[in-house]
Amino acid sequence: MDLHLYLMCFRHEALVASHLTPDQFGAYMAMGTRHNTGGKVMFFEIEKNFESSGLAIDRLDTICAPHSDGRPHRSKYLSVYRAMELVPLSAFGNLYLTTRDGRVLGLEGSDYPCDRDTSRGPYMYCELCPITPRVVSNLPPAEFIKRITDPNSLVNVPKIFIADTLLTRDADGQLASYLPYRDPKHIKDCLDVIASKVDTIGKTVDRDPPLVAFYRTLASGFYVGNQEGIKHYRYPSAEELDSEHMEWWRSATMD
Amino acid sequence: MFPLAASNGLLFHWNTAWLAAAGDPTGSIAGDDRELPIWWHITWITAIIALASAFGFYRWIMQQSEGNERMREIAQYVREGAYAYLSRQYKVVGIFFIVVSALLALMAFGLEVQHRLVPFAFLTGGFFSGLAGFFGMKTATNASARTAQGASESLDRGLKIAFRAGAVMGLAVVGLAMLDISMWFIYLYKFHHLVFGGQPMSLETITVVMLCFGMGASSQALFARVGGGIYTKAADVGADLVGKVEAGIPEDDPRNPATIADNVGDNVGDVAGMGADLYESYAGSILATMALGVAAVSLGGTPAGFAGKLDAQLAFLGAPMVLAGVGIVLSLAGIFLVTAKEGASMKQLMFALNKGIWGSSAMVIIAAFFVMPMLLPSSIAWGVVAAVTTGLIVGLIIGYGTEYYTSAEYKPTKNLADQAVSGTGPLIIDGVATGLMSCWIPIVAVSVGMMVSFVMCNGFENLVMGLYGVGMASVGMLSTLGITLATDAYGPIADNAGGNAEMAGLPKHVRERTDALDSLGNTTAAIGKGFAIGSAALTSLALLAAYIEEVRVGIHREVASVYVVEGDQEFQTVNLGYGKYGIFYPGEDSDGSLHDDHFTISAIAGVGDNSLDIVVDGKPVSVIVNHFGANIENELHSGRRSDEISKLLATKRPAGLKDFTSYYDITLMNPKVLVGVFFGVLMVFVFAAMTMKAVGRAAMAMVMEVRRQFKEIPGIMEGTATPDYARCVAISTTGAQREMVRPSLLAVLVPIIVGLLLGVAGVMGLLVGGLCSGYAMAVFMSNSGGAWDNAKKYIETGQHGGKGSDAHKSSVIGDTVGDPFKDTTGPSLNILIKLMSMVSIVFAGLIVKFAPMIGAFLGMGQ
Repeated sequence: MDLHLYLMCFRHEALVASHLTPDQFGAYMAMGTRHNTGGKVMFFEIEKNFESSGLAIDRLDTICAPHSDGRPHRSKYLSVYRAMELVPLSAFGNLYLTTRDGRVLGLEGSDYPCDRDTSRGPYMYCELCPITPRVVSNLPPAEFIKRITDPNSLVNVPKIFIADTLLTRDADGQLASYLPYRDPKHIKDCLDVIASKVDTIGKTVDRDPPLVAFYRTLASGFYVGNQEGIKHYRYPSAEELDSEHMEWWRSATMD
Repeated sequence: MFPLAASNGLLFHWNTAWLAAAGDPTGSIAGDDRELPIWWHITWITAIIALASAFGFYRWIMQQSEGNERMREIAQYVREGAYAYLSRQYKVVGIFFIVVSALLALMAFGLEVQHRLVPFAFLTGGFFSGLAGFFGMKTATNASARTAQGASESLDRGLKIAFRAGAVMGLAVVGLAMLDISMWFIYLYKFHHLVFGGQPMSLETITVVMLCFGMGASSQALFARVGGGIYTKAADVGADLVGKVEAGIPEDDPRNPATIADNVGDNVGDVAGMGADLYESYAGSILATMALGVAAVSLGGTPAGFAGKLDAQLAFLGAPMVLAGVGIVLSLAGIFLVTAKEGASMKQLMFALNKGIWGSSAMVIIAAFFVMPMLLPSSIAWGVVAAVTTGLIVGLIIGYGTEYYTSAEYKPTKNLADQAVSGTGPLIIDGVATGLMSCWIPIVAVSVGMMVSFVMCNGFENLVMGLYGVGMASVGMLSTLGITLATDAYGPIADNAGGNAEMAGLPKHVRERTDALDSLGNTTAAIGKGFAIGSAALTSLALLAAYIEEVRVGIHREVASVYVVEGDQEFQTVNLGYGKYGIFYPGEDSDGSLHDDHFTISAIAGVGDNSLDIVVDGKPVSVIVNHFGANIENELHSGRRSDEISKLLATKRPAGLKDFTSYYDITLMNPKVLVGVFFGVLMVFVFAAMTMKAVGRAAMAMVMEVRRQFKEIPGIMEGTATPDYARCVAISTTGAQREMVRPSLLAVLVPIIVGLLLGVAGVMGLLVGGLCSGYAMAVFMSNSGGAWDNAKKYIETGQHGGKGSDAHKSSVIGDTVGDPFKDTTGPSLNILIKLMSMVSIVFAGLIVKFAPMIGAFLGMGQ
């Protein structure tokens, strides 16, 4: 029975040990055993051999042993507070996206050079962990992460997990009609604000965005990083998802 | 003034040959061997053509591949569920039919207030109506997987299979209806008197007896529509609320326990229910128009160009049957026009379907130009042709009007979708407003169509002929039912094919094609629904007039049940009270008995150019002849009776519709009429409320069951355990059966109760109130529901944030509200309108006899 280590970092963070495979773990987290829990879950699979202080990684086998009757241990929480900052970037494995009915899509991560792109935005980032506002910014993902994790800044976080979301606009400059954002006019106003303030890191659109139809709004994908580096998890195009991950995509576009 | 003849009390006449025409109090036509009109052969031949073609299409469908094992398995689940439902429904309906038949038998044999064949006519109407729905559903459940398999090959192949399956339904409905009408006609016209003895039946009696099978068809249709509607929405809401909203499972996902029930619901509601519904509409419009045709000659006199009254009546009676028969053949031609090349685009497929509908409509108009002048005198034939054309045009206008207000291609639904951005409240408000506003097209179209048909048939000079024109317009509208129903029934088949493709995990391009077929079906279904709803309104006017004809027969039957001629009296007059009189002549029956029912004249109190003065019980009374027994009428007009009274009677035409409205005081100043109108309106609202509440209750049971299964059956969500589909099917079935009884009973009982309390005037008010409010309400509910549904689909195409957005969530709520509007209550109201008319017609004899007594007892006049 393999033991896995998962870092959940969608809105709240938790490091969890489990005997379930990523697919099983995602379904379990999304639906629970009696379907009393629900909601989307995003989690990384974490390499178990990283060094940590205070996370009891070295005692995983003892803490998360199978039940006496041989049943797997579904979840053993190791940390529910500031877990992400304690896990080194090098230990981040695949990112798994689950839907409310427990379908799981795995995304492979890759190192993302900090100077990879310098194109100016605007971008709209959905910050997922440890803070959760939605912001618009002229900065490309790498630059945005560098700025927000810069310890020299007055306001910073040690590590951040963000999603790059769609900002498609039609010929009139309005957001495309298929984008499910609440109050698109306000987003447009925010974009107008950053257009005139090129040096600003960004502008908050919503402090607590509802993230409706979230999986339909993703652009280039997810980024997790700090001053040391960035990992990028490319999100497939809608065509790819429809043809190669049809069941997940149908479920993901439900809400 | 006739000399006084003392009334000697009431002697009940009991004819031992109870099914014999001699027992027919409305009289018979002399001569045992009546020639069968040649046009009758058109009716049975076209019926056989329709049924044979339907069978041919069915066999062709069954020869197609049903796809892989998973597809067959899913189709089997749906089939089993649908059969389980129908089996339960037929049991409940069977009990209802047994009880009502017993009641009708009591009325016929015990109270003698209606013809003794009515219980049998009622049963055959119900049987054939149910059979039409069953055939349609059997084909549809066999066609869904085959359509999905066809769509995996090409779009046009999928269309061909689904459309031909719809055509089976369309052709089965028109074929069975025409066969039923044709067989009843030949039996009553040619053989009934030979089998049971006595004189041949008069055409008046034949048409009113046949009209009674409409009640059987209406009852079956109401059960099918209400039960099917409750079933499908309970399953749909259960599948959506728990499966989609709570568990986050996509539509048609096999993990959803209610998904099979949902697919079954499409079949029992949209296919079987619709089949029974349109069978009733089709048969009802033909039968009502036949009755009016006969009445038009009876009341308006024999038009020039006919050898006699019988010839004229046969021609007017035959015209709707012939037109419907020709329509069957031309619908079949239209079905064959629906062809598309391999790899056809959506636009080409739409063109192909329109080619079929428009093509058959145009051909019917052209055919009417040739056929009607052959049957009818030119003075009326061209008016009838105009009425038929009007009916078809009105049907198309209503259809396209419906499409305008419900399709996302047009402004109203786009605007409705815009409201979803503001929230659920504005969306609901706008949906209600859109539905209300959408009523103007069908109401104006039907009103104009009614007036045009009426005027074209000289209705302002000859009222009954004008009404006959309106009836012919409704027959014209439904003459292409074979193809319009095919386009309507094809929709749910394509929808089910999509479900099958989804559950079987077929590739994306297959699902895209089945979605395209479904979307195509939604558009054509709007046209089919337009025809159904428009014909309901037009037929109802004809049924109102037919009701008065039944009242006439009811009065005559009451009079005939009392026979008073004794000794050597030349004639006798009897006062039955409440302004009803009998004038009896001693007759010479074939068996040598002293008297015969056919030597009876019934009359009602009245003053007019056709009234005559008689003395009854020593008092002078002015009366108008209600009805001559056919034999005495022949005697009078043949000149064989040369006495003064006979000569006088021969000059008097029977009471027309206006005489009856005067006799029963059917005016807006009569509170009974107005109260009846209020009750008609109330009936529509209460019925609508009951059916919608029924959906709510049945859906709640389904919600609980789906939740229970998710909770208690481990592995459903993981896909490692199969849900208990059968249990959900059973719950929906039980819920629908339980819930359909009360609204259906209401529809049957209220016209009888109102009739007994408020009399004929109250019934007329009830029917008018029910017709006007029911028609508007049906259009409103169907179109609101359709607009909400399509607004949701429009948003799902990516407008206003697309799926999952707040606007989408609002639109989903709108759609949930609209579901019972458009699939349960709206369509059921069509049948309610007609069922109330049919019940009134069948129970007219009872009302005529007992309502005056009850009214007098309650101090409300007669």
